[in-house]
Amino acid sequence: MFVAAAIPKILDPPAFAHMIYNYRLVPGGLINALALVMPWIELFAGLALVLGVWKRAAALVAGALLLVFLVAIGWNLARGHAIDCGCFDVRSAGKSREEQLADMRWVLLRDVGLLILTAQVLAATSPRVGSSSRLSRG
Amino acid sequence: MVRASNVGRVLALLVLAAAGAAISNLAATTQRKLPWVGNYPQALKFEPAAALPSSPPTRIEKKEAPAEIAQSPPSTAAPAAKSAVTSPATGAGDLVRSFPPHPDKPALEIAPADVQRLYEGKALFLDARRSSVYAEGHIAGARSFPVWESDIDQRVKGLYEEGLDQRAPVVVYCSGGACEDSHMLAEKLYMVGFDNVLIYKDGFPDWQKRALPTSKGANP
Repeated sequence: MFVAAAIPKILDPPAFAHMIYNYRLVPGGLINALALVMPWIELFAGLALVLGVWKRAAALVAGALLLVFLVAIGWNLARGHAIDCGCFDVRSAGKSREEQLADMRWVLLRDVGLLILTAQVLAATSPRVGSSSRLSRG
Repeated sequence: MVRASNVGRVLALLVLAAAGAAISNLAATTQRKLPWVGNYPQALKFEPAAALPSSPPTRIEKKEAPAEIAQSPPSTAAPAAKSAVTSPATGAGDLVRSFPPHPDKPALEIAPADVQRLYEGKALFLDARRSSVYAEGHIAGARSFPVWESDIDQRVKGLYEEGLDQRAPVVVYCSGGACEDSHMLAEKLYMVGFDNVLIYKDGFPDWQKRALPTSKGANP
């Protein structure tokens, strides 16, 4: 999912910068840098998880990204600011405010689910899990 | 517990990501390139939707002095709106009389009927949406000024260097609704001295709905 989400953002950074701007949470000077780097973080974390290399580090990065997404979506949902999430598609979907808010609730749920999966990877690769000493090297 | 090796790997992932972003941005076309430091003065501004009227005036911070984008004052544009549907095409002088410059504000938001009158009067129209969206369809004759693309400042500078009358009305538009690209373009135009920027708030969707002239492709 991270890899799939990263591709459209990497292909069109200005569109992703516009999405970040719409969140109204990032200072103007940082928006472009975030739009340029964040998709690549998603891509490398996703690839590492898929390929099974540096699994714990990749899960930590993925978890941190998911927490950022959760806070950003949750914050805007709480203050009634309807936006396109820009998760997999960086072009405006032209949806109504109500549709956008409904989508944001689903995104929140999905990100919680992904965070749980990430926590499982972290638990499985924990050095404290005796039986997973082989995994912890990943 | 996060071991030192994992911290190193996390840092390595971040460095790889930054390198990927840098190379990708260097190789990107003008339409897909981004300057690393953005300039979006309104980036943290948020007003609850419930507290806003349907077409709210929007404040814009200007370096020299605070300025605001306001709705068109009733004394000038509102009468024009009433006569817009039936009025014939007007000259540039008539347009300036009907839509006088407003050097204290980056832009005024205007009603669709005023937009039509300005179009008939051959006012300059600028499209603030992405160039790819512009190519899919735009107001016939409007020029592309994609505010999210890396060459926007060069385009604005180029327009300034054309030596146009900066007091003449310039209409900017984007996708209507919550789209703010036209406001961002208005501020850039204001900063180089255009004193009569007018925002077509309902934008291209409204223009299409009213079956007014459109064009496709990269050219006006």
